[in-house]
Amino acid sequence: MDKLGIEPTLLAAQVVNFLVIIFVLQKLLYKPILTMLEKRRREIADGVELTAKLKDEEEKLIVKQEKALNKAREDALAIIEDAKKQAKEVEKELLAEAHVQAAAIIARAKQEAEETHKSSKKAIAGEAIDLAVVMAKRLLSSVMGAKEQHALISKRVKDLESWAAREEKKS
Amino acid sequence: MLHISLAAETLWTVFGLPVSNAYITTWVVMAILIVLSYLATRNMSVIPGNAQLIGETIVGGLYDFFGAIAGRHIKQFFPIVASLFLFILAANWVGLLPGVSTVGFYRSESAAEAVTKEPAKEVKPEAAADTHAKTTEEPKAESATATAGKEEAGKEEGKTEFVPLFRAATADLNMTLALAIVAVIAMQYFGFANLGGHYLSRFISFKDPIQFSVGLLELVSDISKVISFAFRLFGNIFAGEVLLAVIAFLMPFIVPLPFLMMELFVGLIQALVFSMLSTAFFSVAVSHGEGEHA
Repeated sequence: MDKLGIEPTLLAAQVVNFLVIIFVLQKLLYKPILTMLEKRRREIADGVELTAKLKDEEEKLIVKQEKALNKAREDALAIIEDAKKQAKEVEKELLAEAHVQAAAIIARAKQEAEETHKSSKKAIAGEAIDLAVVMAKRLLSSVMGAKEQHALISKRVKDLESWAAREEKKS
Repeated sequence: MLHISLAAETLWTVFGLPVSNAYITTWVVMAILIVLSYLATRNMSVIPGNAQLIGETIVGGLYDFFGAIAGRHIKQFFPIVASLFLFILAANWVGLLPGVSTVGFYRSESAAEAVTKEPAKEVKPEAAADTHAKTTEEPKAESATATAGKEEAGKEEGKTEFVPLFRAATADLNMTLALAIVAVIAMQYFGFANLGGHYLSRFISFKDPIQFSVGLLELVSDISKVISFAFRLFGNIFAGEVLLAVIAFLMPFIVPLPFLMMELFVGLIQALVFSMLSTAFFSVAVSHGEGEHA
């Protein structure tokens, strides 16, 4: 023992020394560093998790946005289509009305024309009879006596009147 | 002549405690470890500085390394096995620094006897003080060749011997035995803490004769672990010291360098061996009897 230099007191002192170093290193080195490593590990894990979550949310938002855009586009298309349809209907209505009005105007014009035609015909007929009477008087005055003249003229006048009446019926 | 001593030299005796040169180096090693730890963890932050990064690399690396052996028990074992590794490594490497076991002083052998045997022989206080005054305190970083000349010069006033001021802490059996005893006691502690009274059946079992003799063998092997731990570390480091001293004595320049490199490596390996074996033994202790329940 002496040659090896083993001294019980020194041995005990070294045991104490080593226990002290374990204690001090535990307080000063291992605990703070292992705590910090664990903390960092947790923080990184949290960060990664958060990133994944945010990415997920972003994707969801993009999908949502696209949906909204698509819907807006569809709505716009529908509104345009609707407007077109309405315009067409209005056009149709307007056209129909115009047609009806045109027909009415034409009908009135026709009627008026006919009436004019009739009245002018009547006037012409009356005037023609008068003219014929005058001419006949002039011609007959030289050939027949007043009595014969009058009988003939009245007969012709009656013929003319009956013709005029027939003509009128025809038209 | 070459200075080789199996035992660490006692420098002074303070309150009955013989302060050896290895003991002083132990304090130096402790101081280095504490200061470095303080520097590494002074400003802890999530984004580490250089010192913190180095500390994290070492501690985190050790944690993973020993965790691979100890499994879920690593939290329990870590302070002691990491301290074993760091302390032994620091002690081994500090032992290789220039000045360790070369810086010292001469004293007459009678004075040395007085210092080492003081508590036993009860030397008078005046005599002890006298011997201290007589010692030629000449600290210098010289190779052993220079010491030989001095020794002859000192022979006129009786026999003198060279006493180095520092000696590698792990080249002293007191230190290595202390570490071994702490490790083996910690092993028993972990066994009892994890298994309770059941752990006792590792040593004393009356189930059958085979179990009984196995228990006896376990008891002997645990006691022998103290010796194997202590002498393995002491032997390696002390042999390294002797080798370096001899090489430096023969060829002081350049030639010792490869041996110094090898001793650095040996220092690391011995620290690893000691701490890894401790972890393995702790694991064995806490898992005693697991096979029986399976």
